[in-house]
Amino acid sequence: MVKEIEVEPVTRLEGHGGLRIVIDDNGKVKDAQFNITSTRFFEKFCEGRYCEHVPRITPRICGICPIPHHLTPTKAVEDAWGIKIPEPAYKLRQLLQNAKQYSSHVLHFYALAAPDFLLGPFADPALRNVVHVISKMPDVGAMALKMMDFGQKLCAEIGGKSVHPISAIVGGMKKPMDEDARDRFLKQVDEQIEFTKKTVEIGLKVVEDYWDVVANVGVVPTYYVGMTKNGVHDIYDGDIRIVTPDGKKIDYDVHDYLDALGEHIPEHSYATHMYYKPAGYPEGIYRANCLAMTNAADKMATPLADEALKAMKAKIGEVSHHTFAYHWARIIETVEAIELIKKYLEDPDIVNPDCKTLDVEPREGVGVGVTEAPRGLLLYNIWSDAEGICKKLNLLVATNHNIAGIEKTLMHVAKQVFEDKALDGLKLPDPWIK
Amino acid sequence: MLLCNAPIWQKQLVFPRNCWGCHQSLLNAHLGLLPILPALDIVYWPAVVDFKYDSLKARPDGDILVGFVEGSLRTNEDVESAKLMRQKCQLIISFGSCSCYGNVHGLANIWDVQEAINRKFKEAESITNKDTAGEPRAHMPGFASKIVPLDEVIKVDAYIAGCPPKPEAIISAVAFLLGQKPQPKADLAFCNDCVLRESGCLLEKGTLCFGPITSIGCSLKCTSDGKPCVGCLGPSTTVDIRVNKLGEMVKNIDSLSSGDKKNLYEFLALFLNVPLMAGFDLAGDILKQIKHSGAPQTPLADMPSDTINIASSIMTYLRDHREFLEISNVCDTCPRIINSKSQMTRVKRDYEGLPNMEDCFIEQGYLCAGPITKAGCGGMCIRVNSPCSGCFGQTEWNVDQAERFAEIATKGFNVALSKDELLSQIKDKIGFAEKFTLAANKNYR
Repeated sequence: MVKEIEVEPVTRLEGHGGLRIVIDDNGKVKDAQFNITSTRFFEKFCEGRYCEHVPRITPRICGICPIPHHLTPTKAVEDAWGIKIPEPAYKLRQLLQNAKQYSSHVLHFYALAAPDFLLGPFADPALRNVVHVISKMPDVGAMALKMMDFGQKLCAEIGGKSVHPISAIVGGMKKPMDEDARDRFLKQVDEQIEFTKKTVEIGLKVVEDYWDVVANVGVVPTYYVGMTKNGVHDIYDGDIRIVTPDGKKIDYDVHDYLDALGEHIPEHSYATHMYYKPAGYPEGIYRANCLAMTNAADKMATPLADEALKAMKAKIGEVSHHTFAYHWARIIETVEAIELIKKYLEDPDIVNPDCKTLDVEPREGVGVGVTEAPRGLLLYNIWSDAEGICKKLNLLVATNHNIAGIEKTLMHVAKQVFEDKALDGLKLPDPWIK
Repeated sequence: MLLCNAPIWQKQLVFPRNCWGCHQSLLNAHLGLLPILPALDIVYWPAVVDFKYDSLKARPDGDILVGFVEGSLRTNEDVESAKLMRQKCQLIISFGSCSCYGNVHGLANIWDVQEAINRKFKEAESITNKDTAGEPRAHMPGFASKIVPLDEVIKVDAYIAGCPPKPEAIISAVAFLLGQKPQPKADLAFCNDCVLRESGCLLEKGTLCFGPITSIGCSLKCTSDGKPCVGCLGPSTTVDIRVNKLGEMVKNIDSLSSGDKKNLYEFLALFLNVPLMAGFDLAGDILKQIKHSGAPQTPLADMPSDTINIASSIMTYLRDHREFLEISNVCDTCPRIINSKSQMTRVKRDYEGLPNMEDCFIEQGYLCAGPITKAGCGGMCIRVNSPCSGCFGQTEWNVDQAERFAEIATKGFNVALSKDELLSQIKDKIGFAEKFTLAANKNYR
């Protein structure tokens, strides 16, 4: 009998979708689908808006990563109009982007992912959530909340609002950071670095505990897409970098994105399937997000993070296809984020009022803005008319870069689970929370 | 969507989906969550908890006490889940500006939905299978032709607006709904201590006074000054005999003076400890519903029946007569100077120059939706030198908002343009004045 397994909805993620796995009479996996059932047509209703208002609309694409959805369209409009921003604005944006990276990654690790590891995969679904983690491990819970709180408050301080920020404007930033606010965050940053080190310890313990899973489940060779600046990990500024399954790195200027990134419209998902165009679909299906970024980066931008990257690569290879290593890569990026936050907070430019180019004029043009959002590459391609009205918008959104890759991984894991019974012999640790 | 059991009521609370920002905002309460989250028995919250849709469907109707519905109703599935939540929950909170007003997604209503579908699934520059591409249909829900606010699809009991709502508003709403307040504070009513008890009773003179249902124990300052009791201390366990007079007046609210009417909202806020800030907005007689559903041991249901009837009548009246809700706009809470040394001589675009931090944006020439937008945000945008863009919703509905803006700006602000001149200089009127509310504005249907 053909068996269909449905998971509706997939929980502990932002956005909305379900899984569907079809198994035939002989126990073979025939199909694995990741069905994303929500989309809202931002690319359409931004048409006709003032270009400079697009960055005030698009953060609503994602409430966890609204900062990249504010900064990236701003960069795209600046590109279309040929506007350069002052150095203090560049640094403020880097600080803002990294503050978001920090809180989002901590949220992901502790609130979305950790319940799986800390309670184990066979725990009661009613208890497998962050609320239960907080009640059973109050020290770790309180630390995680303090880390998210720091990142979100820093986002709110610079962005005006942590969810759906407003302070970036075509030409720079509306306001520098206040000195007393800067001092307040600087006072807390060393404690945050200690929290991050503690998180690295917890992360490494999880990797060690679940090594059998990391090394054997969902190890799927794909392409990867990320961003680097001259080969160095960067989440605000740089070129698009593709990594092939055998580890070759190919850089593309953001304006040439259509040479690299193809979008296949599937039948069964509103989120489309992205792939590396020269390799074709589905062969060129890639993954994005933190593991893609660590695969792409020759080095991290800061010393502690780079040390951590080297340690990871020594263990799982220069290019890793280990799906469960995403958590490890995410922690390495968290380390970089807090180091960069400290670096920029110590930079006097952060409080420099020269943070906006004053003579900004619209012009007819096409612009591309790219950043790396916490869940992957984020690209805005905007068409402006001579008066600065948005004529057209093409969006390649971070989560969307992962959909085809997730589906490919799902197929692989479904075969492992249902055909090879690979889970039976897996070594699992005693859950930390019983 | 969040559904959870609140132990105080021995019943349950729900949340749905969209950009996750409303959930992020709830989580932004961070350490403030520690006492709240464990007090909730969450029965459905896909963003954080692992219960599946089937577990929600399997529950008896009305089994869940409170459902928070967030997100705009873009797909047919969004509409269906909203209906399912209404069926399963005793109270529905429209949570965030998406469900309250449609949010920015409502701007898509300018086009036929098919045009939006074509742009995304057929015409986008990066699509490589243009021959076969089109709207995905396998296991997909399909799209509603227009986005409408939640309360046009199901009955809504309360609103928490904002994009996102402020964490403190969410926390106080949850605390309120959990029934932590109001508790009757004293057995006797205010009238027992009132200085006007023997002569000069305000109720007898026809002034609305809430003494008969309010707890004793305050400084008696209001009536000593000749002003009515507004219910600060919350409900008393027993009512004073004068409740009959109060009940009569409330039965016939239409005949009250407009000053009395304006006091109704303040009374509800103080008496029930309803969080007024950040747009927590009751629609309808929650008290009656709770009584009807028979939720055991709710402090609200413990109130004397006269008190419940009076509070319910006022809520119902205010739901239908929103002009008496005291609505402040963002300018009322904005620290910038109005009638400043600056003057608008032409409409500037946001990218032009850099506004100073002291003077009103409008007077500096910039478009700011403050005068037409409900207060409650605390002016977060203004603090980082960005004009208001209207995410808390409008102070007046179903009119042309750009025109209303021009009207207010040319009358109350230092603006050298006529209303028509100002309007003619706004190229994207809808994008400026209706960014968050187009779907809810009947003026555009």
